[in-house]
Amino acid sequence: MTTGLDQLRDLRKRGLLEKAYDQVAGVLAQEGPGGARADTAAVGRLLAGLDPGAVLSHHPATPVVTVAVTGQSTVGQVLDPLRGELARHGLLLRAVLGEHGTYLRDLTDPAGELHTAAPDLTLCLLDAETVFEQVPGVWRPEDVEAAAADVLARCAALADAAPGTLVLNTLPLPWTYSRQLIDHRSRARLGAVWREFNARLLRLTERSPAPVVIDLDPLVAEGGPVTDPALARYAKVRLGAPLLAGYAREVAHLARALRGATRKCLVLDLDHTLWDGVLAEEGPDGIAAAGTLRGEAFGAFQTCVRQLASQGVLLAVSSKNDPAEVARVLADHPDLVLREGDFVAVNANWDPKDGNLADIARRLDLGTDALVFADDSPAERAQVRHGLPEVAVVPLDGEPATHVARLLADGWFDVPSLTEEDRARNGQYRALGERRKLREGSGSHEEFLRALDVRLETGPPQPHEAARIAQLTLRTNQFNLAGGGLTEAAVAEVAADAGRQVLVARCSDRFGDNGLVGAALITEAAGQWHLDNLWISCRVLGRGVEHAFLAVLLSRARRHGLTAVGARHVPTARNHRARDLYPSCGFVARELPEPGEHGDGTSAYLHDLLVLPGIPGHICVTESGKAPR
Amino acid sequence: MSTVDLVGLDAFLRLVGDDLGLDVEGGAGADLALADVPGWDSLNLLRLVALLEESGHHVPVHRLLEAQSLRDIHTLVKEYG
Repeated sequence: MTTGLDQLRDLRKRGLLEKAYDQVAGVLAQEGPGGARADTAAVGRLLAGLDPGAVLSHHPATPVVTVAVTGQSTVGQVLDPLRGELARHGLLLRAVLGEHGTYLRDLTDPAGELHTAAPDLTLCLLDAETVFEQVPGVWRPEDVEAAAADVLARCAALADAAPGTLVLNTLPLPWTYSRQLIDHRSRARLGAVWREFNARLLRLTERSPAPVVIDLDPLVAEGGPVTDPALARYAKVRLGAPLLAGYAREVAHLARALRGATRKCLVLDLDHTLWDGVLAEEGPDGIAAAGTLRGEAFGAFQTCVRQLASQGVLLAVSSKNDPAEVARVLADHPDLVLREGDFVAVNANWDPKDGNLADIARRLDLGTDALVFADDSPAERAQVRHGLPEVAVVPLDGEPATHVARLLADGWFDVPSLTEEDRARNGQYRALGERRKLREGSGSHEEFLRALDVRLETGPPQPHEAARIAQLTLRTNQFNLAGGGLTEAAVAEVAADAGRQVLVARCSDRFGDNGLVGAALITEAAGQWHLDNLWISCRVLGRGVEHAFLAVLLSRARRHGLTAVGARHVPTARNHRARDLYPSCGFVARELPEPGEHGDGTSAYLHDLLVLPGIPGHICVTESGKAPR
Repeated sequence: MSTVDLVGLDAFLRLVGDDLGLDVEGGAGADLALADVPGWDSLNLLRLVALLEESGHHVPVHRLLEAQSLRDIHTLVKEYG
């Protein structure tokens, strides 16, 4: 069987790898042994010879992730699996590698190579030597405790000094240190000291939004030795290849999440995916998700799915079945953990699944690239891969005991941090369905909007809303006027900058509270505001919210005595729908100061604040924080 | 894991070319100092360690780290099997 790796080798031999980079993710997504970790490192090895400039000349839109790597020991080995993992998600690695053992200087020298590369992510790979190099030649657990306290203080300081999002890791305790203590009491003490250190390291993320700490314990537990003694001794490679492969996978998921490419909806098949048996053939009595060995495995999978849903992952069904029968089973089958109310859409019919997935995305106002599809049938998966290649496909198989691990392997729904809005999302999408019913029952769109009773509140954000703002800006694609988003750390930077501010919009209607749905990033200079970017959640589009928010911003600017508000629309692959927003609110297109510099189709606008746009009549607006800054 | 037959220099260079993405096939790169092999970087020796392990050859790491050329490494592969 030809693996994805074989196909890439072939492309390389023919000199086509750069030209075909847009196909690499698809090639690697094919089923078969290509998904194994060792192969991902091999893919990265193969891609190491790629010329990123040539890739970009063929495919200028390829998302590039700049990653700086430094650490305690020889850490360059992480680049191969990382390059491979990023390639699986269509991302291109631009790597900057520090010297070995120089992580303190790498991270803190503003003129150093790592800082000047302006990385998106900075990986600082630590290992047990980070602590033990500070311990005397003959040592006791107390010496380790003192050294660990020093290292922790250093890590806390680095969190603020490092360029980009700093990624630290917990330190696995090597067996060879533990066993150098011959009494069990001391070994236990060392184990406790070590875990307390790792726990404090993990808790750094509670203090500051900047660092991410990847817990290596679950990766070590999954398999593979922490280190190869010979490589550790002779080449100072202290974190072994299997562990680095697992770590690289986590980092790639983080990079994807920081780009806002988190998936939003899990679409599930039913027969042999959520339950054992085939409903159409065996009837409700012939299916099981409890009570039998195999049935319990499906029940455990449902429990895992429900856990994801509780954090805002939307659930939907696409199943070849009779819809009435599926509705009955979801309503009252005694085995099921998931019920009809847990799903925002149930498509049970005999149509091709790619069409069903497109229909689900449309009904939820999502792009199909927000979907993850899990099915046990290779034929259905192939059909979706062919029809909708942007959908992430989870290959389940005939062994339900592995369903959970297969679903979780790619961290499709990982986000930097979770907000209350996330937890409430499933309810909000059910409200979306109720709004649709109201619209269908209303005579005209205006009547529908009036009946909706929309309330919009705008003003400066509350301090606890930084995570939500970051998430909104990173996950909004369609109404993201200038492209890009703000990390939580960037939101904090803006809050501390007198010349810039974020204003937000919160929205509710008779069906519920949508929470924080809009944000504007504003720079003030020379008596003018400039809207650096504007984000509106697609959940509230079609209700005039975007016009109301902009109208409020303009009136606020005038009230503050400003003379004009500038704005720009930078086209991206997804934001064409927002192209006319500024002109429709009275902004006038203007010449860019340096024509030719913006070959990307950027449009610049200016509003003179003489005639302000009206707020749509069906929206009730309130403003907070009216005093000038 | 089945062992890949690397007794012949050509087979060894083909494996290195395929898996490390280096253009060393045809024997021209075998005697170059490793640092002079086109596309060589400091990580390639570590990649080779992993690659040899994956293909079933267990050469002591310290000997690999001391090797000067791909031919040296191939000699070690033959020596240790």
